[in-house]
Amino acid sequence: MAQKEHDVLIVGSGHAGGMAANILTGKGLSCLVLEAGPEMDYQRDRTTKAVHELPYRGFNQPGRLPHVIQANEFNANQWVDEHEVPYTHDADAQYNWVRVRLVGGRSHFWARQSFRLSDYEFKAADIDGSGENWPISLADVAPYYSRVEAIFKVGGRKEGWPQFPDGDFVETTYPPDSETIKKFTEVANRRGIGVSKMRAAQGQNGLASSINLLLPDALATGKLDIVSNAIVRQLRVDKNTGLVNGVHFVDRHSRREMEVKAKVVVLAAGSLESTRLLLNSGLANSSGAMGHYLMDQLYGVSVVASVPEARDGKAPRGLMGGSAFVPRFRNLKKTEKNNFIKGYCLNISSGGSASPHFFTAYGEELERKLESYAGSCVTGSIYGERVARFENHVRINKDVVDAWGIPVLHIDYRNSDNERNLAKDAANTLDELFREVGWEILSKTDRCFPPGRSIHEQGTCRMGDNPKTSVLNRWNQSHDIKNLFVVDAAAFVTCGWQNPTMTILALSMRASEHLAEQIRQGIV
Amino acid sequence: MKVKRRRFIQTLAAAPAISAVAQQRGATPPNASPAPKLATTDPDAEAETTPRFFNAAQFAALRKLGSLFMPPRKGRPGALDARAPEFVDFLVGVSPAERKLLYRNGLDALNARAHTKFAKFFADLDDAQADAILRPLVVTIAWVLDRPTDPLEHFVAQAHDDLRTATVNSLEWANAAAAQDAGRRGRGSGVDLFIRPIDPVYRG
Repeated sequence: MAQKEHDVLIVGSGHAGGMAANILTGKGLSCLVLEAGPEMDYQRDRTTKAVHELPYRGFNQPGRLPHVIQANEFNANQWVDEHEVPYTHDADAQYNWVRVRLVGGRSHFWARQSFRLSDYEFKAADIDGSGENWPISLADVAPYYSRVEAIFKVGGRKEGWPQFPDGDFVETTYPPDSETIKKFTEVANRRGIGVSKMRAAQGQNGLASSINLLLPDALATGKLDIVSNAIVRQLRVDKNTGLVNGVHFVDRHSRREMEVKAKVVVLAAGSLESTRLLLNSGLANSSGAMGHYLMDQLYGVSVVASVPEARDGKAPRGLMGGSAFVPRFRNLKKTEKNNFIKGYCLNISSGGSASPHFFTAYGEELERKLESYAGSCVTGSIYGERVARFENHVRINKDVVDAWGIPVLHIDYRNSDNERNLAKDAANTLDELFREVGWEILSKTDRCFPPGRSIHEQGTCRMGDNPKTSVLNRWNQSHDIKNLFVVDAAAFVTCGWQNPTMTILALSMRASEHLAEQIRQGIV
Repeated sequence: MKVKRRRFIQTLAAAPAISAVAQQRGATPPNASPAPKLATTDPDAEAETTPRFFNAAQFAALRKLGSLFMPPRKGRPGALDARAPEFVDFLVGVSPAERKLLYRNGLDALNARAHTKFAKFFADLDDAQADAILRPLVVTIAWVLDRPTDPLEHFVAQAHDDLRTATVNSLEWANAAAAQDAGRRGRGSGVDLFIRPIDPVYRG
């Protein structure tokens, strides 16, 4: 059969690729999505099991997924096999790259927390003097956020706070606050810290994924083909024009080498896979910025407290339970002086139980303590912003290849004093707030998980107006190759404390509409 | 390999729609198996794990730890009832070298301290004697990845975690929980959604 040439070839089928396919096919363009992983069949591939039925009694197979803290024996098969698709890092700079290769990508499993970035992130350099501003502002992205929020049915409470931009939320009813949440809110408010509620995508039937909200409509146009198990090795280039004209890929099962043509290539494989593909192709890097400014969000800091009047099962109805969400409150004013820039949010959850690790006891004594503290705990945790720094980068390690012979990434990320100071401030603030309410601190840590743990890797192909310092323009389009786009979080200039999904979706939508218009005008 | 629209929609669609069509035609539903699903038995209900990794003194010390850390309580099995030490022997035996070393050194150290203090193996101590050795080694851990820097404290924390988990996740625990929870609704303790291997790479 003769090889088809599609208008647009999209690499990756998660939120970014799904949105690109949705928009572009909606504009009448023929699209081909290549996905490195297989399809997941929710009926065939999932079943309930008791933990004692699992081969390792719930411990997971030792050594199987050393970097995936999220993995347990129930979900181990959803993550990329680290031995099949390895990556490298220096021994003193662990990075946890947590990946999913499935049709729909990581959009199957995300936590659905749905936030807009604010101009504290888009225009961060104006505020704290660090790094670069994005070439766009919230006003540029806001119309796209609104449309994404409608598709994903984002629920939230409007606050009118500039660091926490309101969205076009579906009607959301939050249960009444428990007494613990009310007390926490009072204490926080006295310090000028605003307390809100989690904003989350409701999706359909509990799923807010590319596979149920984006790709079905694209397929329904008859303009989309999806090829699964297609591992893209390299982009193809027309030597006469310098434009990309397709990709080489390898079939995951047979290892058959194949190539496919397209007029435009859109990369949406996830920040680091898109960048890996570009670096392995040796393309679009006249700026030298590609691979640099890697970011993700800082997780790990937490404080756990116990509410004395809730112990021994004596909590009156309405005392415990529920949650609160505190968006960034640090460094919102230029006059505010801290030993760090940027900020973090707080997640507060009431009604949990204590960990055995909190007590110097064992056996019967420990069990009695655990019973006493059951249901009496309040946990505070954070998502913190990491600074975009040139030295945090990825590069190709030609000495190591994956199971398909493709050179892997070497990831070099190190926290700076800014991250360490931010983490200390967050732990101390939680500790102070909980003590002020009158709760007993059981556990406090200002330690961070290794970077990457948030599964929110961003940057490495940042956008900007200056082709000498950025890889992409403000439309997620390569400065060097006009028919090449990167629509995932590789384009991000700052990462904020917010889950990046809404921004990935909004920017992919925006870039795809721009691309469609450029094709219509014959520019691309 | 290529996902065409019709198959994609079928994948997303609920199974009952297919069944209804099949019933109208009087045909076997396409996803129905011609063979009945046979009940099989959990190996732990029929057999014992053979300890193979630790030597006799180490394994005896591990069993002693199990009896101390997780005694039977309120109708739930203890670590020995759940054969948690036997499972941990298996688990450590298939673990990376670092974990093997942590356990072997830790159990040897407990035996050495028991010899020094009481001229006995750790397994032969009474509970008060064992507590005199163990209690100073049980420390709080503020954060899950923040293990004690002292190797013996680290070992005790790890063994405590592992023996607890191997007990709570055992068939014996599930059976006891089911007996206690009889009549209650829900999936039962330790039951969760398991993701099967998804289209594993073809090996021919």
